[in-house]
Amino acid sequence: MSAPLLEVRGVAVRFGGLQALDAVSLDVAPGEILALIGPNGAGKSTLLNVVSGALRADAGSVRFKGRRIDGLTADAVNASGLARTFQGAEVLRAMTVRENVMAAGAARAGAGVVQGLAWLGPARRALARLAAEAESHLATVGLAALAAAPASSLTAGQQRLLAVARALATGAELLILDEPGAGLNATEKAFLAEVIERLRSHGKTVVFVEHDLGLVGRLAERIVVLDHGVLIAAGLPQQVRSDPRVIEAYLGNAQIGVARAASATRPAAPLLEVRSVAVSYGGSIALDRVSVQVGEGEVVALVGANGAGKSTLLKAIAGAVDPQSGTIAFGGAEIHRVPAAARVGRGLSLAPEGRALFGSLSVRDNLAVGRFGRLRAAGLRQILWPSGEEAAALEAAIEDVFRLFPRLRERASQLAGTLSGGEGQMLAIGRALVNRPRLLMLDEPSFGLAPQVAKEILEALPRLTGQGISVLLVEQNAQAALQISDRAYVLVGGRVAAEGPSAALAADPEIAQTYLGWEGARDTPIPGPANDDRFNRFSTVTYEEVKP
Amino acid sequence: MTRVALLAAALAAVYFSGSGYLVNLAVVTALFALPALGLSLLMGYTGQISLGHAAFVGLGAYASAILAKSLGLDPWLALALAVVATTAVAWGIGWLVFRLRGHHLAMATLAFGIIVHVATVEMKGLTGGQDGLSGIPPLSVFGLELGTDRAVFPLAWLACIAAILLAENLVRSPAGLTMRAVAENEAVAASFGIAPDALKRRIMAISGCYAALGGAIYGHYLGYISPGPFDVGFSIRLLLMVALGGFAGIWSVLFGVVFVVVTSELLKPFGRFDVVIYGVLLVVVMIYCPRGLLDGLGLAARALGRRLAGARAAE
Repeated sequence: MSAPLLEVRGVAVRFGGLQALDAVSLDVAPGEILALIGPNGAGKSTLLNVVSGALRADAGSVRFKGRRIDGLTADAVNASGLARTFQGAEVLRAMTVRENVMAAGAARAGAGVVQGLAWLGPARRALARLAAEAESHLATVGLAALAAAPASSLTAGQQRLLAVARALATGAELLILDEPGAGLNATEKAFLAEVIERLRSHGKTVVFVEHDLGLVGRLAERIVVLDHGVLIAAGLPQQVRSDPRVIEAYLGNAQIGVARAASATRPAAPLLEVRSVAVSYGGSIALDRVSVQVGEGEVVALVGANGAGKSTLLKAIAGAVDPQSGTIAFGGAEIHRVPAAARVGRGLSLAPEGRALFGSLSVRDNLAVGRFGRLRAAGLRQILWPSGEEAAALEAAIEDVFRLFPRLRERASQLAGTLSGGEGQMLAIGRALVNRPRLLMLDEPSFGLAPQVAKEILEALPRLTGQGISVLLVEQNAQAALQISDRAYVLVGGRVAAEGPSAALAADPEIAQTYLGWEGARDTPIPGPANDDRFNRFSTVTYEEVKP
Repeated sequence: MTRVALLAAALAAVYFSGSGYLVNLAVVTALFALPALGLSLLMGYTGQISLGHAAFVGLGAYASAILAKSLGLDPWLALALAVVATTAVAWGIGWLVFRLRGHHLAMATLAFGIIVHVATVEMKGLTGGQDGLSGIPPLSVFGLELGTDRAVFPLAWLACIAAILLAENLVRSPAGLTMRAVAENEAVAASFGIAPDALKRRIMAISGCYAALGGAIYGHYLGYISPGPFDVGFSIRLLLMVALGGFAGIWSVLFGVVFVVVTSELLKPFGRFDVVIYGVLLVVVMIYCPRGLLDGLGLAARALGRRLAGARAAE
């Protein structure tokens, strides 16, 4: 192997109490396609930010073509021949597609402000050259026909392709693509794969971060896996796929102390019924006719890889996104036309991903805010100065939260912004509980937390059912989620790929591959009873028709 | 080019109309247009707010006046030195403030504007304090002193048209693309190899240069300057001109300047309450015509046209 193009040595980054990257070392060889994968919060984006100069590492070095680039600013890193794209594609919406690509090449064109003012020869020639180059880069990614369109009119998939064209326009040898396939449909992904292979044949080296392991398996020549800031595997795709540490990283390994007692009283009366709900964001399908049920007193887990549509489903139930079709019933009444705030009043609470705490309020005040809807309903005076029954109910509800998470009691008067990640998550759950919901929805409660803290939080959840609260849980740590839940749904690519009692799903050795989607769920038909007998184990499994 | 020709024709009509009032308004328009165009390059095209732009106008005016009056330099040399010095100051201020973003940048530039204004009031030995500086020697061409409206008119508009042409060049050049990239997303701009802070400093310098030129010509033309015209209120009026023009748009900003100059004539009976009316105007424009008054009026006209057409179709 020739000398590496990019050498990362012992890079470490710490954010407060979180070790985001811990002594990560890797090489990128010239001309290869390398995939960087890992579960949410593994440190992939942090590593990308360090390499591209957006973030300074606490330790370690980064060399590009033998020259140190750590410590350079992002623009200087780019000038040395390394271009990155962003997770959100980040097209410049005020410009046309062509101008986006031209802007990317403008710094390298070497016509500065003074030449621009005077409209000297260099500026004029540079502009003409940029326009010509933009056409060729757009042709490479298949957007030539849209060159004059406003960038804001592109679909999610086209925006990602535009981001690739821009990276090309900077003249970089090494392209680092952050989730190039996110939000793309099967056709777009196939095209993206073609484009990336075309780039390589043009002599570029490509590193990409991706959650769709189907796309990774199809494209990558080598795979590097991060988990909790540590590089846990690097090698050829076959080796990485079968590496037990990688499977563990994706499915989680927390051994939960309080496994759900198999309740014989199923089926419970349905509390929440989601029927064939479909959601798409600007042309990309997030949910494809998904049906989910939660019974009274049940803990139901939604598991699935990133981008499978779990959060979207919770948002649709909470009323934060409008489904294009399908119905949602809660407590026997249709609620898909009820506004989000009113759904909270009916007993539906969501503890969102990322917690969204009020950092400058105390823990107790954060909890009290969770009951705003009920206090407001009891009259304006109750907001200004809660008293009587309302005040007592509020105190009782806060007391219940403190019993569930005793750590919050110790921190009651502390500002929420000063809490650790785990305490913050407890507070977010507590705030949702103060409203005394009938259904508590949790989005990634263990995200970014150390295993011990995550365990503490997850173990508390089954206790809620004793208080008459049902739980709908979205969780990356699928093994843990399956242990604390009664039933679970596995979402793959916006569809329910499997459902059943959690214990049965956890015991299924094949479920890992379904969950991870290595087979490229979008390239091959969704496995169904006809071609895969492993699903026959679950009597309740339903399958969506595969669209022609 | 047609626009420049039309502008020149309109100016010629004003000049030969024989109306001293119109010529005076036109001179004022040109002198306000210079700082407004500079502010548009900074705010509209590069996305960086400045609430202290009057300070650069003031610095240009005072520097040129002091150099010409106290040091006895030739007014043209004084003007050139003052513009160069203010350009350098603007670059330096950029170096200081562009580590800030959003509200913080707005606050810092506002503070800068106030500091310069207070300095012109308090440094009595240099600036004459509230009394101002009088007896500033006028610029002269071949012995003709440019101290009257009609005499300074060609100079003011030549400077203004040159500034328009240069700004137009800049925004369509590759540098213009980098400015717009920085305005929209600095992280993305940096990933293109654009150094956002260096670019912002350069545009700030150009912006300061435009403002100083306007200020310096103003001082030599009136022969008298005082701190009053260069206060924060003037910064806000410059902001209003740029906002009326939709921030990014060289010619529409010129329209914004004309609009404000004409409006301020109409508001003269209101005395100092004009500030209130400017404030209301700014709020209304920001809410209802975020892309400028022309754009907003155009949209309203089209909507009206559609409604009329609809009514006709219904009949």
